[in-house]
Amino acid sequence: MYAIGRMILRRLGQLVPVVLVATFVVFSLVFIMPGDPAIVLAGDYATQERIDEIRRIHGFDQPMLVQYLNWLWNVLHFDLGQSLYSNEDVAKLISDRLPHTILLVAYALMLGAVIGIPMGIYAATQQGSTIDKLITSFASLGVAIPNFWLGIILVTYFSLTWHLFPATGAVSFWDDPVEALRHATLPALALSTNVVAVLARQVRSALLEVLTSQHFRTLRAKGLGSSSILWKHGLRNVAATMLTITGLQVNRLFSSAVILEAVFAIPGVGALISYSALNKDIPVVQGIALVLVIYVILINLIVDVLNALLDPRVAAST
Amino acid sequence: MKNGTHLSGVSRRTILQGAAAVGGSLLVPATVRAQAQPVSGGTLRVAMPYNPAALDPLTGRNNPDFNTLYTIFDALIGFEPSTLELKPMLAKSWEFTDPTTLVLELQEGVEFHDGEPFNADAVVFHLTRCKDDPRSNVKSDVASIDTVEATGPMQVSIKLTRPDASLPAVLTDRPGLIVSPKSVKEAADGNVDRAPVGTGPFKFVEWRDNDLIKVERNTNYWADAPYLDAIDLRIINELNTAARTVTAGEADIALNLGAQQIAVARRSGDLEAEATPSLIYYTSFLNYARGPLADVKVRQAMNWALNREDINRVIMLELGQGHCSMFPSGFWANDPETENYYTHDIDRAKALLAEAGHSNGIEIETWAWPDQAAQQRQEVVSAQLAEAGIRLKVTPATPPQAMQNFLGDKQGDQLLSPTGGLPDPSLAYDRVFSASAYRNAGEIELDGYRPLMDASLSTFDQDARQKVMYDMQRFVLENALHLPQYLSAGMIVRRPEVNGFEFGLPQRPRFHKVWIAA
Repeated sequence: MYAIGRMILRRLGQLVPVVLVATFVVFSLVFIMPGDPAIVLAGDYATQERIDEIRRIHGFDQPMLVQYLNWLWNVLHFDLGQSLYSNEDVAKLISDRLPHTILLVAYALMLGAVIGIPMGIYAATQQGSTIDKLITSFASLGVAIPNFWLGIILVTYFSLTWHLFPATGAVSFWDDPVEALRHATLPALALSTNVVAVLARQVRSALLEVLTSQHFRTLRAKGLGSSSILWKHGLRNVAATMLTITGLQVNRLFSSAVILEAVFAIPGVGALISYSALNKDIPVVQGIALVLVIYVILINLIVDVLNALLDPRVAAST
Repeated sequence: MKNGTHLSGVSRRTILQGAAAVGGSLLVPATVRAQAQPVSGGTLRVAMPYNPAALDPLTGRNNPDFNTLYTIFDALIGFEPSTLELKPMLAKSWEFTDPTTLVLELQEGVEFHDGEPFNADAVVFHLTRCKDDPRSNVKSDVASIDTVEATGPMQVSIKLTRPDASLPAVLTDRPGLIVSPKSVKEAADGNVDRAPVGTGPFKFVEWRDNDLIKVERNTNYWADAPYLDAIDLRIINELNTAARTVTAGEADIALNLGAQQIAVARRSGDLEAEATPSLIYYTSFLNYARGPLADVKVRQAMNWALNREDINRVIMLELGQGHCSMFPSGFWANDPETENYYTHDIDRAKALLAEAGHSNGIEIETWAWPDQAAQQRQEVVSAQLAEAGIRLKVTPATPPQAMQNFLGDKQGDQLLSPTGGLPDPSLAYDRVFSASAYRNAGEIELDGYRPLMDASLSTFDQDARQKVMYDMQRFVLENALHLPQYLSAGMIVRRPEVNGFEFGLPQRPRFHKVWIAA
């Protein structure tokens, strides 16, 4: 446990430089993107005079480093600023929207794990069978199918034709959990396809490798039954792989959610960051980047801790 | 020069009646033609693609903001949605007592949503704020105003620095939407972007950014009471998704859609899909101060090379209007004689190019927006111009990028863009072609433009003003100051139960006459 505690502290110590570098890179990228937010802020029929005035008011005429340091200084005072466009508090914007995205990602991940892992296990134990071939083919298809396309197909049938699920929108999980899950089902299904496919493929291949190793041949020679080998030894050996891949999938799901939130009109952070980045709404982009960087680091940390609990050598080596 | 309830209408009304006759019932949407008996009650669920930047009329900036603004705010002067004929609203009458003095007589017995009385002092406070507030985006709209004075409890006199016949129309727009002075004075830094208080038929309840705006019936509304109890305006950026909410029964009406969504909805027998004439048009802003487009013959060649009817057919599925005017057919400032000044004539385009010394063709550096619809527009325009030997070298960029590059940094020759929607034709010309206009990349005015612009602002007789507008339209077309492609349409999808909705020429609906059938 001491090693795990040291690992956690070490990782948390890395948080500060990673956040600094990541937010500076995001700030620089948004800053160097061509386009002037003052033009958008000035409206449909702006005058040059008004655009210049807006540049002065918002400090867009200052050097990039000064603008970044101003932002950082405010963050250190727990102030993420206001959206350039709606004047809404950035912290409030994110806190209003993040729960919708987290629900979507968690739901998709749960579906992906519940469907993908058993598929991978089954395919590995039935290697070469028709079912294995079907699962492998499905996994390839799942990786290839665009999420948004699947989302539209799901809406066409499950919402517009059979009226089983809402076509758009989101409900707060805390206000009405059942309705929240009903709203999140179709987008989560669309989002989970890639997770199902990736997990099925990775679990199958990891498990095959384990099951065909010398160690397992020995176990069989000792007279252990197939099911005992699989559940007691096989899965324990691929657990670390499953955990690592699942952790990576969580991070990827956040980026995939951007498009699905648009298709399903979900007011999440994905839709917010794409809209804000296109309009160079720097305070919002920076705020979301900050939150997501922290979130990714924490997810990776949790995965590492779980891996360390499964295999103490991990804690010692990281 | 007096307008309002005390006069039996000036010549403009005659003109507009004639225009309405020309436009006929095409200008009146089916929702308005419905004859059923209105019923009160219910919450209208609206889907719209744009999140307002602010709900303070002064600091907001885009036309779709009016989907919300006109629910909360009344304007000093109203307008007939299908013709833009000015009508009394918070000002029961208005009169130019001389070319530089506009006197407004205000409605009595009007209250803001916060219970404060609406009076001359409120109007003075508001118009002064329009001019002086550092965050005001409407300073250019009220640039002609010198002083605003309460000359009675319910009378306001506006002194101008120059004659400005467009000012009454400007008062239908943001500067005329009167915000409660008390709300501004009590707000931190006077910022009421997210706490709007007006006198309109609905009161602001809640705004979840880029998600939902809720308004509820103003039970103390001074004019005819609204039918609806409340309106939920859902913001759904993706147009297909917005339209789908109506198909799925999750919204009653979706606004600001595109032709594709109208076509899809029309295949469904359960929905009403409408496209009504609009002041929004698609064009190319040209930099005619330098480069190839400094030559009028090149600009004219481009205009002759376009087949606008085909563009309207392909891009708008014939829901728009394929001519070269900035205004829809039937609108009072549109000269029907010149709306088809340029027809599709490739030979003429080639001849003009040859006269300009480009018999082997010419390349035009072009900025275009990167979204799918804009790319489709650009491809059709490029293909048509290519027939005449005019090759577009297109760089797609987001609207702010493209505008900065073309209008700010003066890069390239033209920018394909939608524009329009202004309440007065003088403003529509001024904001694109005056030397001070941001959209005039070359920052020059051709000989003959300024006298026409000045005449449009100093001519108060409506017949005479219409003649000036006709002359201005001809001037712009003869000199090919831009490359108009087609007039858009106000496109909506609604459930048949929704009645009384009118998008109007500027695509600025007022929901107070909308009702939901049981």
